Amino acid sequence: MIEVKGASKQFGTVTAVRDLTFRVEEGEVYGLLGENGAGKTTTMRMMATILTPTTGDIEISGFSVREQPLEVRRRIGILFGGEVGLYSRLTARENIAYFGNLYGLTSSRVQERIDNLSRMLDMETFIDRRVGAFSRGMKQKVAIARTLVHDPDVILLDEPTTGLDVTAATIFRRMVTRLQEEGKTILFSSHNMGEISKLCKRIALMHKGKLRFSGDLAALRKQYGTDDLDDIFMAVVEGGEL
Amino acid sequence: MGWQIIWTVLKKELLDLFRDRKAWIGTFLVPLVIIPFVFFLLGNSYSNVEKEAREYVPLAIHGSSPLIDMLAKNPGVRLIESADPEQALQAGQLRAIITIPERFDEEIKAGNTAKLLVAFDSTNTKSVYARDLIKQTVEAYSKEIVAKRLQQAGMSEAAIQPIAADFQNVATEERKSGGMLAGFIPLMLVVSLASGGIAAANDLVAGEKERGTMESLLTAPIAANHILTAKLVAVMMMSMLSAIASLISVSLVFSMGPLGGGDNAAFSFAFLSPATLLVLIVVILLMAATFAGLELMLSTIAKSFKEGQTYMSAVIFLAMVPSYMLMPQSPVDIAEHYYVLPVFNGVALCKEVFYGKVDPLHALLGIGSSLVYVAITIAFASRLFRREGAGLKN
Repeated sequence: MIEVKGASKQFGTVTAVRDLTFRVEEGEVYGLLGENGAGKTTTMRMMATILTPTTGDIEISGFSVREQPLEVRRRIGILFGGEVGLYSRLTARENIAYFGNLYGLTSSRVQERIDNLSRMLDMETFIDRRVGAFSRGMKQKVAIARTLVHDPDVILLDEPTTGLDVTAATIFRRMVTRLQEEGKTILFSSHNMGEISKLCKRIALMHKGKLRFSGDLAALRKQYGTDDLDDIFMAVVEGGEL
Repeated sequence: MGWQIIWTVLKKELLDLFRDRKAWIGTFLVPLVIIPFVFFLLGNSYSNVEKEAREYVPLAIHGSSPLIDMLAKNPGVRLIESADPEQALQAGQLRAIITIPERFDEEIKAGNTAKLLVAFDSTNTKSVYARDLIKQTVEAYSKEIVAKRLQQAGMSEAAIQPIAADFQNVATEERKSGGMLAGFIPLMLVVSLASGGIAAANDLVAGEKERGTMESLLTAPIAANHILTAKLVAVMMMSMLSAIASLISVSLVFSMGPLGGGDNAAFSFAFLSPATLLVLIVVILLMAATFAGLELMLSTIAKSFKEGQTYMSAVIFLAMVPSYMLMPQSPVDIAEHYYVLPVFNGVALCKEVFYGKVDPLHALLGIGSSLVYVAITIAFASRLFRREGAGLKN
């Protein structure tokens, strides 16, 4: 469960996120929608305790990002899009095992998790190769495995399909569905309304650091009387009617 | 738990660095390639010039005297006829021109001082060697004449040499060998300690930030200080590897290279006693820690790998200035305050180690002050590293 309670983040004179409040229920795939620079990554970084909210708080599975950052980190797995953040001189296995060890998993548990994830993500042919020469899709699979190695309850996916081709993005979405079936709480950020609608029933819509909408996607469609998600998005951010 | 995390991060950093060609080049290029290369090149050209100067000494002579026969007996001397000797001297074809005036031998026989004119080129090392050779021969010839004159006057040579001074060098063979190294090794050691860790430090923070791996690392449930400690140890290890490679490289060059011949044949590390060796190890460790802390600090401030590289040149500068300033000084001349100044203290103590005599007070001052500098540097690095957003690319 993720509960954002009036969280704001200020960098000098710039307010990146302003008084954000929404709640993601346990086992839910929740969409965080907004254009580039809307404050999605800052929000995710606050959830991951890399940044501390200037005001307000965020609770992950009941633990405050302000008061119990280490407890929060133990329960989350975060995946960044674009830069997947892997050590190119290490093999896929070494990359995943490194994080497994940092999360305090035993060696046998790490190897067991790597074997499972490797099968699930179809990485067996390249698991022992150095990631430097991997394609974008292969790297993304390794990054997903690294995010999931400690079997987190809450998974934060920050624009995870950026740079993936159609096939890789589809495989990725299937994986998200599978993780939801396992009962994981997932926050999925994107600037693509179409992608969000394929995975999420509920969304939060951000624009220039502010929350413009949070709630049921079907209700949003009904409110604006159209199924065209791009039109709905434009109407919401402009604060007007269609 | 803390040590386990530090060990996990350190193991990964070392594995990553050992697979990084850039880090290897940074650590071992200077000590293992550049030092021997410069020394062999310098040594070879020096000994070649000396050899050529000795093997072939072309001289032009105007006039005649038994002195010329004596001069011609020196190995390598060739008496050459030249149409334009001055031009030949300028062009380096002749090393010197000796002009013997008329009545030269008559003046000597008469008991007077006969003048001899020698033209040479002070900008040409080989010509300077020829001048020295002529001077020695003239002195030997003069001595023979003086002996004859004294004999004729019924006096012994002692009459004109009332005092025979015997200068004895108190420096032991170890100290002579160490003294030679004391000038050069601290420079090499400090520069390698500073340069050896640069590639690693830059890669481990600025590089990780740029590649986005630092952000992932900071989401793991571990303390930032544990990450920094592991990175500090990794950078220190690369620094010390570079320094040890430098020491080995310099000692090999001195014992085997062209500069190691002749007087340096007795080269050894005999000037190192267990106590001075301990001081040397502690100094190397403390300097490695100071440079590693400083480099990680700069790497944390840098927004990109390239920016980090620019900042790192300041570290090399910081290492070179004290080393060059103290290079010509003997440890007995180094003022006390240098033993508490950062980097200077390490250089000064290294010099004492290589002279074979470490003053306990200096060791205490140097090591004590270094500990303070290490603590300050690491505290700053830690503060910067723990700063919110320090691990983020943007």
